[in-house]
Amino acid sequence: MQPQFSRAEVAKVPEGALVHEDSTAKWFLVSSVTYFFIVGIIALIIAAKFVWPDLMGTMSWLSYGRLRPLHVNGMLFGWLLAADMGLAFYIIPRLCGVPLWSEKLGLATAILWNIIILGAVVTLLAGLNQGWEYAELPWYLDILVVVAWIMFGVNIFLTVAQRKHQAMYVTIWYTMGCILWTAFVYLTGNFATLFTTGTNQANLNWMYVHNAVGLIFTPIGLAIAYYFIPRSSNTPLHSHKLSMVGFWSLAFVYVWTGAHHMLHGPISQWLQTIAIAFSLMLLIPVWAVVYNLFATMKGQWHQLRESVPLKFLMSGVVFYLLTCFQGPMHSLRTVNAIVSKTDWIPGHAHMAVLGCFSFFAIAGTYFVVPKIWGRVLHSESLANWSYWMLMIGGLGFYTTLWLGGFWQGWQWNNWSIPFIDTVIALRPIWLVRFFSGVMMFIGIVMFAYNILATVTGANEEAAA
Amino acid sequence: MFRKADDNALWAIGISLVLFFIGGILTTVVPPLVDTTWAKPFENRDPAKGITGKVTSLTDLQKKGRAIYVREGCWYCHTQQVRTLLADTKRYGWRGVDAPISTPDEFVFDDPHMFGTKRTGPDLARIGGKYDEQWHRTHFRNPRDLVKGSIMPPYPWIVGDPAEFKAVVAYMQSLGRGKDWRPANDYEK
Repeated sequence: MQPQFSRAEVAKVPEGALVHEDSTAKWFLVSSVTYFFIVGIIALIIAAKFVWPDLMGTMSWLSYGRLRPLHVNGMLFGWLLAADMGLAFYIIPRLCGVPLWSEKLGLATAILWNIIILGAVVTLLAGLNQGWEYAELPWYLDILVVVAWIMFGVNIFLTVAQRKHQAMYVTIWYTMGCILWTAFVYLTGNFATLFTTGTNQANLNWMYVHNAVGLIFTPIGLAIAYYFIPRSSNTPLHSHKLSMVGFWSLAFVYVWTGAHHMLHGPISQWLQTIAIAFSLMLLIPVWAVVYNLFATMKGQWHQLRESVPLKFLMSGVVFYLLTCFQGPMHSLRTVNAIVSKTDWIPGHAHMAVLGCFSFFAIAGTYFVVPKIWGRVLHSESLANWSYWMLMIGGLGFYTTLWLGGFWQGWQWNNWSIPFIDTVIALRPIWLVRFFSGVMMFIGIVMFAYNILATVTGANEEAAA
Repeated sequence: MFRKADDNALWAIGISLVLFFIGGILTTVVPPLVDTTWAKPFENRDPAKGITGKVTSLTDLQKKGRAIYVREGCWYCHTQQVRTLLADTKRYGWRGVDAPISTPDEFVFDDPHMFGTKRTGPDLARIGGKYDEQWHRTHFRNPRDLVKGSIMPPYPWIVGDPAEFKAVVAYMQSLGRGKDWRPANDYEK
């Protein structure tokens, strides 16, 4: 009954006691890192289009409206979710003390996932867009996503079912929660919406969009952080009880908040108020998680100097706190009247997806890749540089968009200022955003190169 | 209850789903049952009760235009909602008349909904009838010819296809017209 698994055991699960094949994890990680780089190019192009709107403007399939969904879907599903799945395929068998239930099924999942992403590239560039944010992919790809998710879920759940350790570490709950909630959240956003229109459909769409972040990327991201922070610092998790508070309050609170995306909009006031109330309650799971992870590092912060994964992990926790503080604040009506629909929002969204959850996934990848390929990381110093490029570029990106978005919101609230003047005013903001984006992209290139060079064994060849 | 979930995977799964479904059902299935205006198209013939008008489903041509609006991702930069903010009603008004606030009953025929999330460009909820076809032609060909400093992409492939262009304009001219908000009916064609 006690949380036997929380303390020293996490840090000292003997590796090598059981040989893990890890081929599924390998395929997911390699493909996700590749998409991170490719979609990074798309990201740069669309950032440039804000400053130079005629850039590549005469080809329909390179226009902003086609590239933006490719950027969003590519980063969310091609890079982040695939990397998260790859890491789950590494972590779960280790926490359970058994091999993955089926590597064959896992490989098939990886292949199917790549087919989906390539299909997404073709359909989105062709303008086959369903018209719902985060759910742009046409229905035939949606069905493949559901199939792939079931394959992933079956593999993980059956691994858990065979586990040797009775007590499940918090990472296992978060991974299972992610798999279950994602199934329903995804079905709501991609299939239930087909049978509705107007405000009703928008409500379902927002339930999906909000929970894509809240109940897909948050639980799997935290699963990764909860595993790798104790693991890479060799420190036991601070409190099992706090991790329970965080998990179960997340399970209950998150799903209520979708309507805060339509504050002041054409949707019932009482539903807006419910969403606001529950958005504020989000501070409970967030603080439980953040406190727990910070307390774990107590007395261990010096380790950040030497460890690139820990740098990414703990910066990710800070960004998680900031993002999740911003979210409830945006949902207050007075604040929302200023920041909603402005450039503040992409600043916020990028801090969540890049600053927090991608940082967790990058940390996990840096930690896992040398282990599963049995090689040292190609270059520690390059890894360190990739951290600083992503960190400084990212901060530049978020903070300029917050400033610009806030400014924009004030201007919109003064209706004597013509709209176009509020666009022209943001040009310097978008220019800084573009150059911050360039820095982030350099960081991504360094990360991807470092990982792929490790995988292909560039070091060994050089030595030979 | 939660302790048991530490050791028992089925128990953990059960509680996670129950907690999720409480909020999930109360915020997705219940609201449209409680608030019937979500599904009832706006209609008012009595000026004493406020603005008059009737929301109808789109014509085939307008639907075609709407599909192009979806395909080109116009909705990534243009919202379609006049919010309950004074600034919205003023800014998206026209020739001295404030734009009426958007209500759920105006969007009953919208599929996919086009409320949008970001205003890189202005809101289009009441754009219908503000600009004539010639303006839209020039604007789609190169927005900067008409609006200096605009960052909207040019859409030569829409202007270059008369059928597509006509459809898009037909759709845009329909926006926000379910509520007949212009006093002298002075909509552009």
